[in-house]
Amino acid sequence: MAPDWTNGNLVQFPGGGGGEPEEMMDENTVLVQRTLRSGQSIYFDGNVVIVGDINPGGEVVATGNVVVMGYLRGVVHAGAGGNEKAAVYAFRMRPTQLRIANHITRAPDGSDSGPIVPEVARIKDGTVVIETFSFGPER
Amino acid sequence: MGEVIVITSGKGGVGKTTTTANLGAGLASLGNKVCLIDADIGLRNLDVVMGLENRIVYDLVDVTSGNCTFRKALIKDKRFENLFLLPAAQTKDKTAVNPDQMRVLTEEIKNEFDYVIVDCPAGIEQGFRNAIAGANQAIVVTTPEVSAVRDADRIIGLLEKEDLREPKLVVNRMRYQMVKHGDMMSIDDIIDILAVDLLGVVPEDEQVVVSTNRGDMVVMDNTSKSGQAYRNIVRRIKGEDVPMMNLDDESGFFKKLRQIIGLK
Repeated sequence: MAPDWTNGNLVQFPGGGGGEPEEMMDENTVLVQRTLRSGQSIYFDGNVVIVGDINPGGEVVATGNVVVMGYLRGVVHAGAGGNEKAAVYAFRMRPTQLRIANHITRAPDGSDSGPIVPEVARIKDGTVVIETFSFGPER
Repeated sequence: MGEVIVITSGKGGVGKTTTTANLGAGLASLGNKVCLIDADIGLRNLDVVMGLENRIVYDLVDVTSGNCTFRKALIKDKRFENLFLLPAAQTKDKTAVNPDQMRVLTEEIKNEFDYVIVDCPAGIEQGFRNAIAGANQAIVVTTPEVSAVRDADRIIGLLEKEDLREPKLVVNRMRYQMVKHGDMMSIDDIIDILAVDLLGVVPEDEQVVVSTNRGDMVVMDNTSKSGQAYRNIVRRIKGEDVPMMNLDDESGFFKKLRQIIGLK
């Protein structure tokens, strides 16, 4: 029962976090208006927007991008199926583990704090990089 | 060929997971190759207690359903080279695995390890039956409370029915001051009811809470009494004859003085 990871039409969006043009899928976006608790999971072919937190033990797997309008404390897999352009946006980025396409990362041991700003995680030069999310063109 | 030991209790919150983590770390520190299996599918904790949560990619259900090999799912501990964890799945429930699958899995794993320790979920339903399926030894954890002892008694009966005879008992969270004042069941009271071999007694210790929250194991703490208790249990599992620790809180001097003047 392999899921169908075929992406929808790709639409170019200028600007975005980090300043470079990025691809976001136009269609197939789901809005989740609750907090994802431990043991709850969302699997979706497209983008996922969570209006709430993802607690430790909660899991989101999406073929597209994932946006968390709250604390990301659980596991997020963006670009599942191999989309290396996918990104994870979180109002507060404290993931147990982050996965983008075929990359897996976690915070180093003993670091449970982080900056209190919105951040974005994406693949740059073959590794997952987390940066402060800045809206608008590159400055 | 290793041993498969299931840690069980019936009642929740008596310290199965803490005991599993500490015995695993203790056995690993003595050079044994140890694999811990978290059988508490849907309420996994062992990874959190060991501070390995962020390393999980595959879990027990992935292995039993054939998504990956058990070697791929094993997580190596960050302190001990020869300690491994097979985590439970969090998004599934106990029905995702059946006892036959567990029997096959433990059979496969024990070929490569000295000890396989299975952390059993609370209750006597499918999760319990899964956890004990492949075991050839059982350790029953209880606390000195009538409810926990009652559940332990029930569990020992169920273990005997599954041919896991002569389970060993660990009494956790013992408070000797309260026993002395007659406010808590003593070890003798518990043994009278359960009639099984005592493997060890772990005193109530705040240090357990501290290390658990930090993702560490108290068995590695050389200064705490609970750590010493767990190290003794580990040596008893290895077949050594270790005398029961004197956990009397009273300091040695006053005790001796009282003995001298004949007050017991």
